[in-house]
Amino acid sequence: MSSSIIKKTSTATGFIKAIESGSKHLLMKRFTLRFPEQKLKFVGDGYQFDPKRGVGIAGSRGRHILFHEKCTGCQLCAITCEGIAEAIEMVKVNEKWKQNKKSIMPQIDYGKCVFCGLCVDACPFYALYMTNDFELSSFTKEHLIYTPAQLAVKPKYDGTVEVKIDERGASHR
Amino acid sequence: MTNKYSESLDSKFKETTNLGLEVVKEASEDRLMKLSVGPQHPGSGHFRFTIKVDGDYIVYCDPDPGYVHRGEEKMCEYRNYIQNIPHLERPVIHDSTNITYSYSLAVEELLGIEVPRRGQFIRAIASELNRQVYTLYWLAIYGIFLGHSTMFMWPTGDRELFIDLLAALTGARVTHAFNIPGGVRNDIPEGFKEKCLEYIKYFEKRLKEYEDIFYNNPLFRQRTENVGILPKQDAIDLGVTGSVLRASGIPHDVRKVEPYDVYNEIDFKVQYMKTCDSFARAYVPFLDMRESCNITRQLLEKMPESGEVRVKLQSNPKGRIGEAYKRVESGRGALSYYIVSDGSSKPYRVKISVGSFRNILALPHLLVGSRLGDMPSIYWALNYWPVEADR
Repeated sequence: MSSSIIKKTSTATGFIKAIESGSKHLLMKRFTLRFPEQKLKFVGDGYQFDPKRGVGIAGSRGRHILFHEKCTGCQLCAITCEGIAEAIEMVKVNEKWKQNKKSIMPQIDYGKCVFCGLCVDACPFYALYMTNDFELSSFTKEHLIYTPAQLAVKPKYDGTVEVKIDERGASHR
Repeated sequence: MTNKYSESLDSKFKETTNLGLEVVKEASEDRLMKLSVGPQHPGSGHFRFTIKVDGDYIVYCDPDPGYVHRGEEKMCEYRNYIQNIPHLERPVIHDSTNITYSYSLAVEELLGIEVPRRGQFIRAIASELNRQVYTLYWLAIYGIFLGHSTMFMWPTGDRELFIDLLAALTGARVTHAFNIPGGVRNDIPEGFKEKCLEYIKYFEKRLKEYEDIFYNNPLFRQRTENVGILPKQDAIDLGVTGSVLRASGIPHDVRKVEPYDVYNEIDFKVQYMKTCDSFARAYVPFLDMRESCNITRQLLEKMPESGEVRVKLQSNPKGRIGEAYKRVESGRGALSYYIVSDGSSKPYRVKISVGSFRNILALPHLLVGSRLGDMPSIYWALNYWPVEADR
């Protein structure tokens, strides 16, 4: 094991090398992602969890999606969230499902949610997943609260841009 | 500290006498000017320190951490072992995988579980990638702190590569909540390995350019070389850690000294320098980034092709009665957790010891006796993250 020593160059060489290295970038591609026009492509359809194996499936952790036909109203997601963000509240719904006797389903406040995805890990009935949708901003606080009906909608996300690397540098294309 | 103060002052007075200037030997209080740096200074982060200057020389420094104290340790006592993960990564969101890494290790010891081999590799990879993200962010701030705008743009842009990898792996760009007692939350996605190797190859090319434009730049070297000398013995006495300790000539790295998970199978060198100045403290993290690329490549090669990544736990696991202490190497040095359990599902006491807080103890030692203009290069080279230090 030996300590590292950086070679000392003369002042003129140092400046010339710095300018040379910087001016090369005039010919290189811009790395910036132009966000509203370009959108990043994500791996998969969002974070999911397999309770049988006890392992998640890799994906982006954005807005949730709730499958009404699977939700039993067991409140495990809300109990998990209690100690984390207190974003999930169980609310009454007007639907009648065989598996959901109490007719309660989670309602998520995205003003509080931290997108940790532990509610998805807690769900034993494959009812709550996450999606690629991350554009949730709104003008009022009330619009950030998503009801069970809103959570059932599958979002449309059409990101196509990826980081590509070639001899002219890295860029979003 | 008083001895050093008067000694350094003496030598400065000698210096000014040689210039033929009139000198007042005793620095009286009204001769000094008090300056407050922070807590909302754009560069210092949420951290305040008070300095007193005599002309251009700093004669007194009083760091005052605590502006963003959130009581993380107390919060841990009211949540179970799994629920603690998202809030524990808040102190240092740029290095969130490493701050939950040692927590997971400690809790695993309390629960008496062993992580599957593939899970150990995946979290080591995530830890290495996240260390790159943190170091690049730190380097960007260091660059703009010294007035080098290009060095702000380049690392911020290249950081995006690693964020991209981590987003594909964990699902979130910054706060990953990926490590969990018992392993990692999910397996690696398809095509991750190839993407990771491609990005690392490109990044290593970029590191050469960093050296040309920043580290070999005469302007940068003049501002950092022979500035803020922290001798070897002082570094040991003050108890600094991480890159600051390694810049003072001590090859100490938790990954080498106390290998955790799979690090004993990885072949890597501990990078250190003997010059003990600000330049060494800025250059050692850079060398670490290069070494980290090497480590990631080895981890990807040696990772088992398939297997479990996580132990299936009950939703509210209970730890045995006892205590656990584990530490990992984070971007800012040793990061350790000491957890006491009383047998319930919540920890009885959690103590977090972070590198930032230990490094900031060296700040008064380095600043007193130096020039005011050297303050930025000394302060940010300490690799200090105020929010993490306050916890």
